[in-house]
Amino acid sequence: MLTRCGDDLFSIDAASPREAHALALRLREAGEWLEVVAGIDTVILRFDAARQDALDASRVIRSAIAADLDTTERPGKRIEIPVVYGGDFGPDLDELSEVTGMAVADLIEKHTSRDYEVEMVGFTPGFAFIGGLDECFRMPRRKEPRQQVAAGSVGIADGRTGLYAMASPGGWNIIGRTPCKLFDAAAEEPFALAVGMRVRFKAIDADEYEP
Amino acid sequence: MSITVIKPGLQTTIQAGPRIGSRHLGVPANGAADPLSLALANKLVGNDWDAPALEATLLGPVLRFEAPCLFALTGARTAATLNGAALLQHKSVVAMPGDVLAAGSAEIGVRVYISIAGGLQADDVLGSRSTNLQAGFGGLQGRALQTGDVLAFESRDTVPLETPEMFRLPLSTSWGLRTCVGKEAPLFADEVLARFFDTNWLIDRRSDRMGLRLEGPALESKSDGRMPSAGVFPGTIQCPEDGLPYILSVDAGTVGGYPRIAQVTRADRHILGQLRQGDHVRLLRRDPDEALEELRAKIGYWQDWLPDIEEILR
Repeated sequence: MLTRCGDDLFSIDAASPREAHALALRLREAGEWLEVVAGIDTVILRFDAARQDALDASRVIRSAIAADLDTTERPGKRIEIPVVYGGDFGPDLDELSEVTGMAVADLIEKHTSRDYEVEMVGFTPGFAFIGGLDECFRMPRRKEPRQQVAAGSVGIADGRTGLYAMASPGGWNIIGRTPCKLFDAAAEEPFALAVGMRVRFKAIDADEYEP
Repeated sequence: MSITVIKPGLQTTIQAGPRIGSRHLGVPANGAADPLSLALANKLVGNDWDAPALEATLLGPVLRFEAPCLFALTGARTAATLNGAALLQHKSVVAMPGDVLAAGSAEIGVRVYISIAGGLQADDVLGSRSTNLQAGFGGLQGRALQTGDVLAFESRDTVPLETPEMFRLPLSTSWGLRTCVGKEAPLFADEVLARFFDTNWLIDRRSDRMGLRLEGPALESKSDGRMPSAGVFPGTIQCPEDGLPYILSVDAGTVGGYPRIAQVTRADRHILGQLRQGDHVRLLRRDPDEALEELRAKIGYWQDWLPDIEEILR
């Protein structure tokens, strides 16, 4: 469904993050837009309303989204992310253990035992929303967000793992931290993660943490 | 050629045009919170509208010129001085080496823009030279000015100008922002939506380049106040769990999980940079196509003085 949600904004519904991403790619090919942003279940598009008629924009969008989408599983590039779980690096891991009744070691084992998929990038530069979290990790966001969450922090909330590519305020439950640099503005390729990439977490010891 | 920072002011950053086209990677707009005042400042010194300039917040900086140059002040009203003598805004001024500019405190509005002929040198990152304070890139090492900083520029000869009266931005303590209803407006009952548009909202002290918190009657929604993360933009008005609207500004994150009750129209987003704690704001309801008619009218009004107005209001 196509909704006008501002004088220069359209929102398009999607059934899944993967469909939202596929729709966003198709829309970028179909026209010249200021921004096309895929969310969890929507794509939001900003057109240049001073140069393009809203009716014309909506026609281009409609024809672009009319055709069937290919959202079948494709193996994206796979990346292994080392994580120090718990302690100062993951201050909320103990609470997760209490809430779920699972031992910390079992939680780490669970979190590192499968491949995940990057579903969305956004919020801050390079922040990755990673889907496919086991049911045992279900925990809402913290009521009081932290003023500062360190870069590389691995958080969980609402059925997803979130990777803080840079330090920022945040409300996810922090279970660990990676020494990998996930965002580097000065680098030729500033973003380590992209939508569709496969992620596997690997537990490392605190003394192996070298940023 | 350079300028030395004697006092940095409350939060003075180098800002230029916005970052456009990488919100899907989490990169926000940044750039001048009031791009129209940035463009007016650059016009007075013969620069492109989006040349890097200083954006001062409430309490402005004290600067010493180390080389001759032409500069100008626009934006919020301030009692600025050059070597202690009162200085007019909206007019280009010649500075000589050793001259000291005190930008003063904003009296009405929030942000004063200081342009230098030739433009300030700034780091070009992800498509713009504007400072991103949160991630720390662009502008001057991605941060606000500090005492002792040296700002470099390439001086250029240009003709002094004065902004005609009709092109000086009207400042106020009581504002109107034209808005269209947002994607999650249906989550609010008709009478709640009516209250949203009827209220004379107060700008809360927790207001900055990320966004502006509004104080007034809380708005109840039919949801639990959370939704799957979705794209948001400068001018998006979210209504979080406490029911008090929050207007996102230029540095806001690119996705959000709160109901989007409304969206400030493209024509009026530049005003967000001048809304000040304690000011009042009314949200004026517009149909999207009506808003675009008004955008065209605004572009028509400004283009005689600012030929790039279409891009400035982008």
